[in-house]
Amino acid sequence: MSENKIVTLAEDEPLNLDGGGSLSKFKTAYTTYGKLNDKKNNSILVCHALTGDQYVASDHPITKKNGWWSMVVGPNKPIDTNKFFVICPNVIGGCMGSTGPKEINPENGKEFATDFPVITIADMVRAQKLLIDYLGIEKIFCVTGGSMGGMLVLEWLSKFPEMVHSAVPIATATNHSAQNIALNELARQSIMADPNWQSGNYYHSDKKPLKGLSVARMAAHISYLSKEALQSKFGRNLQDKNSLDYSFDADFQIESYLRHQGFTFVDRFDANSYLYITRAMDYFDVSSANNGSLIEAFKETQSKILCVSFTSDWLYPTSENKKIVKVFNSLGLNVSFIEIETENGHDSFLLDEPKFFEAIKGFINSTFENL
Amino acid sequence: MSLINENKDFGVIAELIPNNASVIDVGCNDGSLLEYLREYKNIDGRGMEIDQKKVQLCLAKGISVIEGDADTDLYDYPDKLFDYSILTYTLQATKSPKTVMQQLVRISKKAIISFPNFGHWKIGTSLLLNKKMPVSKKLSYSWHETPNLHFCTINDFIDLCEELEIKIEKKGDLSNKKLSNFSGKNFLDSYFNEVGLFLVSKDQI
Repeated sequence: MSENKIVTLAEDEPLNLDGGGSLSKFKTAYTTYGKLNDKKNNSILVCHALTGDQYVASDHPITKKNGWWSMVVGPNKPIDTNKFFVICPNVIGGCMGSTGPKEINPENGKEFATDFPVITIADMVRAQKLLIDYLGIEKIFCVTGGSMGGMLVLEWLSKFPEMVHSAVPIATATNHSAQNIALNELARQSIMADPNWQSGNYYHSDKKPLKGLSVARMAAHISYLSKEALQSKFGRNLQDKNSLDYSFDADFQIESYLRHQGFTFVDRFDANSYLYITRAMDYFDVSSANNGSLIEAFKETQSKILCVSFTSDWLYPTSENKKIVKVFNSLGLNVSFIEIETENGHDSFLLDEPKFFEAIKGFINSTFENL
Repeated sequence: MSLINENKDFGVIAELIPNNASVIDVGCNDGSLLEYLREYKNIDGRGMEIDQKKVQLCLAKGISVIEGDADTDLYDYPDKLFDYSILTYTLQATKSPKTVMQQLVRISKKAIISFPNFGHWKIGTSLLLNKKMPVSKKLSYSWHETPNLHFCTINDFIDLCEELEIKIEKKGDLSNKKLSNFSGKNFLDSYFNEVGLFLVSKDQI
């Protein structure tokens, strides 16, 4: 079990941002598990996804649920905290303690709200690098994460290749497709269309954009599941009733399920953070800082890499992950690739997928033994 | 079931590969050949394997492996990325042996290819006398369940190399653990070698 820690970074020098502007003295909330060894070569950086946070393997303070990757990270788990020192920071722009729109702007003593600068995946990684420096780690043994977490992994490999011994990007892409951007835009518009959003200045209002955020989550949640999984879990089953109501109440189980996903999400997530982080994902293109060339982007990379995809993931499909593998192959890197067969869709990386766990464990342990 | 006789085949293949070479083993099974070559030749190895259970075994051994198909995934590698490519007992199970061979000599400077020789006298005798598809130690499947799509003889292989302008440099005789320079078709090889093993290359691609 790990306590949440908060550190103030960029105290001497501001963190310059891709979109212009900078952040100084920003906070990063993070958790750690296990112990950093004397050689300081056993650290694993876990990067969370869009709505994830630093509670990777400890109970969430708001939902009281197990950490989002508690099946993967822990003593004797695939990422064994008896052996490894695991670090999981909340990204900047997030809402679980790291500097983001709901935190106080030290310059005026008010919440940033939409005055918070638009940030990128690369900005998040630069911020994480300052945390790694602060922890006194020169080379991270392994950087891993799924979905947006995978984008952060790719950015690490591109920006700070000398600091990454190995990497496991999972169910991710080198940039967002038009479809990915469209889905995020749908989510943002539903937040901003909620009159309670109030141009982002709702922190002191008793009206908060909970409906908009909830609909955003419902839409996103559909994209995390596969058609097969939805069909086999819910089909056309009715919710606590035997016949249709001929109303707009939740007749079908799938409606009730999505509403529940939406309602519970708003308790733990900030609407403005959702806008900022989805924007960062849409802007992400690891080749853009390298004249549009992915080969250029990774030409300094020497890390050992395992890429993972899931058969039924249509949000970050196998084809996108294979594109990454192809680039690493072209560079002659030590890259492995595995496609896990499952009907659980994009969400698979957060679920009980024994073959996925076996692959991660095999790769990480053998890589550590050959260190 | 693995058709590879580790002691015999691995040693002959290792003899063809210089120290520190970069090697891709296509259809690398559980990675044991790559492991062997890593130990004895200090190679920089990569694997490709279609069977996920075997991919997992490779990962656990620290072997870099791509879950992939020789028929479709070799295109992902640039020209002459590897010093050597290896294809053992896989050619006959590919959909298009011709394109797989072209890809192998494209992505590597030299390719080592081995396959069961359908011209072996026992196979001919079995067909002739029993009128049944041969089943032996090296060809262990019944006709209706075999993954093997394109059996060929040593002479067929030599003809295909000629057609593709692939140069055969060396041939191996696995039963006697012997390597020799290739000097054209040879009745004894095609009749008595259960396995065809060749070192081939193509400079112009």
